[in-house]
Amino acid sequence: MTAPAAAVPVVRPGPSRRGAARIRRVRRGVLVALLVAGGLAMMIPFFWMILTSLKTRAEVFGTAPLSLPTGAHWENYPKMWNALPDVTFGTFFFNSVKLATLNTIGQLVTCSMAAFAFAVLPFRGRGPLFGILLATLIIPFQVVLVPNFILYRNLPAWWSASGNWIGTHEPLWVASFLGGAFGTFLLRQFFLSIPIELADAARVDGANPWQIFRHVYLPLARPALATLAIFTFMWTWNDLLNPLIYLRDLDSYTTTVGLAFFQGQFVGKWPEMMAGALVSLAPMIILFVIAQKYFVRGIALSGLKG
Amino acid sequence: MVGRRAGPARGGPLAAETRWAWLFLAPTLVGLTIISAGPIVAAFGISLTDWDLLTAPTFVGLDNFAALFADHRFLTALRNTTFYTVTSVPIGLVLALGLALALNQQIRGIAWIRTAYFLPLVTSATAVGLVWAWIYSPSSGLLNQLLAVFGIPPQRWVSDPFWAMPAIVAMSIWQGLGTSVIIFLAGLQAVPQEYYDAAAVDGAGRWGRFRHVALPLLTPSLFFTGILALIGAFQVFDQVYVLARPGKPTDATVTLVYFIYEKGFSNFKMGYASAGAWVLFVIVAVLTVVYFRLQRRWVHYQ
Repeated sequence: MTAPAAAVPVVRPGPSRRGAARIRRVRRGVLVALLVAGGLAMMIPFFWMILTSLKTRAEVFGTAPLSLPTGAHWENYPKMWNALPDVTFGTFFFNSVKLATLNTIGQLVTCSMAAFAFAVLPFRGRGPLFGILLATLIIPFQVVLVPNFILYRNLPAWWSASGNWIGTHEPLWVASFLGGAFGTFLLRQFFLSIPIELADAARVDGANPWQIFRHVYLPLARPALATLAIFTFMWTWNDLLNPLIYLRDLDSYTTTVGLAFFQGQFVGKWPEMMAGALVSLAPMIILFVIAQKYFVRGIALSGLKG
Repeated sequence: MVGRRAGPARGGPLAAETRWAWLFLAPTLVGLTIISAGPIVAAFGISLTDWDLLTAPTFVGLDNFAALFADHRFLTALRNTTFYTVTSVPIGLVLALGLALALNQQIRGIAWIRTAYFLPLVTSATAVGLVWAWIYSPSSGLLNQLLAVFGIPPQRWVSDPFWAMPAIVAMSIWQGLGTSVIIFLAGLQAVPQEYYDAAAVDGAGRWGRFRHVALPLLTPSLFFTGILALIGAFQVFDQVYVLARPGKPTDATVTLVYFIYEKGFSNFKMGYASAGAWVLFVIVAVLTVVYFRLQRRWVHYQ
């Protein structure tokens, strides 16, 4: 943090200056040690999860629960995977991948379109409309839970046992194709940073707004699109409340409701439960390690909480 | 277009662009109408009715709201949510601020150290909630094991009404810390080094540089993180659902959103649930307005 001592020409006898440098070095060393210790403490739940997932049930409840497992009991993973009679954990996993992917596509397409209109195209009421959209950002989505449920309950579905959208995956992804405040805000900010001269030049060349959007703005906005994609994927993957409300059958469950269901079914089977939790967390952890830059940028840019 | 801008309604290229604009906005407009903004009004309408979805709704005026404020469970949910908010938000922000200051260093391996603090933010509360349920487990849980080393008797962390909310708060702080740290780090990195140098030349020590240089410049980040944390805290649900007995929180841990979920989707009282949802909406709206009003008092924009 502090500028190197040499930058500030203070006339002092040599030894004491070296002493000050040493104090700074020690202080910094202590700080780093504290940060590392804190970081390890933050990781304890992860370590504990991995450790437990490799233990036998006897070891978990044994006399020395803090000890290491007697060899890695990987069998907890297949046990967890096939714990339910009719569906495997793979079904939950597939459902989560499907819904997260559909949501990501829907948000990328419709938010980028709206953001382009707000950033580049002139129309009456642009300011107020953007204001309304932003206001929905602070509205807790739980406020509209009941009206949305009633809406989906009135939409017919021949493919569903209920005859309507309840019990199907549709309420969990279709709305993502109807825009979103967060994504539109994020992309609009990015689009505004692109020099408008680029759009003007394309207009002079006879490009219509769709072509400007498709060939000028989208290619330039790749980092922002990646950020939105990652956040949408993460939010859908981690969502519990919506799947809880709309899903009825085990084979439509996502990993989150699946885990919550496990918890109710397998009281005390901690090794299997930790294995399940770890498997459901793995994609997000891998994604984070690969694309940390986009997570950090997205949060720093918009400050949105997951 | 000579001398003045053509109005959007007139013919010509601008009118064409306006038509394009509405085309680009069409999905968003539908979403605003039927998914996000419109249903807020609908929720209020529903809150004035008794509706179990099986029979037609009956209009009951403001009865649901009157019943809410006489409902012990609702008032408990309100109190628990308030407790959760006034503990998790300030503690989380102060911890995050300290951490951001400490992590704002150019040292080898800092990226790895930061990753450790950031990692919980990508996890689902459901999955890590299971781990925390296990950590808090009264019989063989990690926390009681660790406390036993220091001779502290085991506690029933989640089922003891005294410890239940603090246990949920602790897990939430752990999970949410990284988000605030990232925002603060971004704010700190935007502070020009010359400001610190100038303060150092003026004789400011470490504390002085923090108090008079970093902190004022961080107030916009603090403001921003604060409002997000506040809104987020009022929506707490997942942690409660997973930690506090699978799906059945007692009065010790019931929160506003859990209350809405329970009334709407276990008891199928749509009107009553919507009334609860509207109370949540009004609380968050009022807090946001007050928070923005107070902004001028303490937020410094460069």
